[in-house]
Amino acid sequence: MIDDEEFFAWLDGELDETAAVRVAAAVAASPELTRKAEQHRHLAAGLRRAFSDVMEESGPAPRFGSAQTVDFGARAIEPARRRSWLGAPQWAAMAASLAVGLVIGAQFAQRDNSPVRIDDGLLVAAAPLDEELDTRLASAPAAGPTRIGLTFRDASGRICRSFTDSTTSGLACRESDGWRIRGLYPAAEGQQGDYRMAAGENSRLAALIDETIAGEPFDAAQEKAALEAGWR
Amino acid sequence: MPSFPSFDSELAAVWPRLRRFAHALARNPADADDLAQMAAEKAFKSFDQFQPGTRFDSWLFRICRTSWIDTLRSQSRRAAHEAPEALAESVGYDPVPGTEAAIDLAKAQSAMQRLPEEQREVVALILIEGFGYRETAEILDQPIGTVSSRLARGRQALLMMLGEGGQDD
Repeated sequence: MIDDEEFFAWLDGELDETAAVRVAAAVAASPELTRKAEQHRHLAAGLRRAFSDVMEESGPAPRFGSAQTVDFGARAIEPARRRSWLGAPQWAAMAASLAVGLVIGAQFAQRDNSPVRIDDGLLVAAAPLDEELDTRLASAPAAGPTRIGLTFRDASGRICRSFTDSTTSGLACRESDGWRIRGLYPAAEGQQGDYRMAAGENSRLAALIDETIAGEPFDAAQEKAALEAGWR
Repeated sequence: MPSFPSFDSELAAVWPRLRRFAHALARNPADADDLAQMAAEKAFKSFDQFQPGTRFDSWLFRICRTSWIDTLRSQSRRAAHEAPEALAESVGYDPVPGTEAAIDLAKAQSAMQRLPEEQREVVALILIEGFGYRETAEILDQPIGTVSSRLARGRQALLMMLGEGGQDD
């Protein structure tokens, strides 16, 4: 006598050889069991075929690499991994941005002068930083805490600028609607406000810049020309 | 977390299957997409707990399944979907006519939704995703015997609801 569970286990290839042979013999000897085996094979194939549509319509998987760049944890982070915000589904960018936002929320709780803000789910430069990124040349630092480091283009042609202020350093790239934050890091102890950090002394920021940059950083003349062209 | 940078590539390899699993569990495509995305996010956040050398897909599906149960609980709908065993049996006698036509996705999802939660997840993992009984038992944290009996009841109920799903193959 073959019970249902054993029968299905046989059908699914889950029985050991001895049991499988016994069930196979019983099924072969019974038109009823043979029919049942056919029915359930068809059912399983039909289910798989129905759900295969879901797989075929799957877009690209969300990517999370970007969120790693804002991990404030103490553990070592492996740099030099492509952090693509481009081409990822918008929700992925939003999720990563929100993850950034949460970190920032914890890091900058009650801080009125945070350099960044969440805009429609995306992490963007807040007003003072936004203005510095828009108008400041690295060669002409302001009196305020914000310093501009490198300016360069990424692989898709966007202009990106690294920056640092009293507590953070990061990288922002110019989108049509403003400066989008690509990475944000706590300023290292003793380096707060040191403009050189923005030029690469923060190793994680340096790694992100290295990942993002296509070609060489702008020289002063290119930086000035880019400012005059509205960072397009 | 030494294998951290590989999360995106691991996820990319499993993503279509994760979506399929989510569609097998959830009530509608929107819920399913939310579920797959939520599972991916949670997995990313706890990737440091993933044991290198073990199956990433099993780990991810387990997170997905847990996320789904959390969702059901948070929506206070779980009771409606966790039919008692006696009722679960009666699903097999549901008066939806079996059909000889091929099963389309909507029909398959609808039938899956009529299964009790604990049968649906077993059917999804074994019949649709192709996991073995032991792997399924590990994903669900249930004994193999429980998995086996739920699978038997679930597929009998599906056969009553869907017929054989295509005589042409």
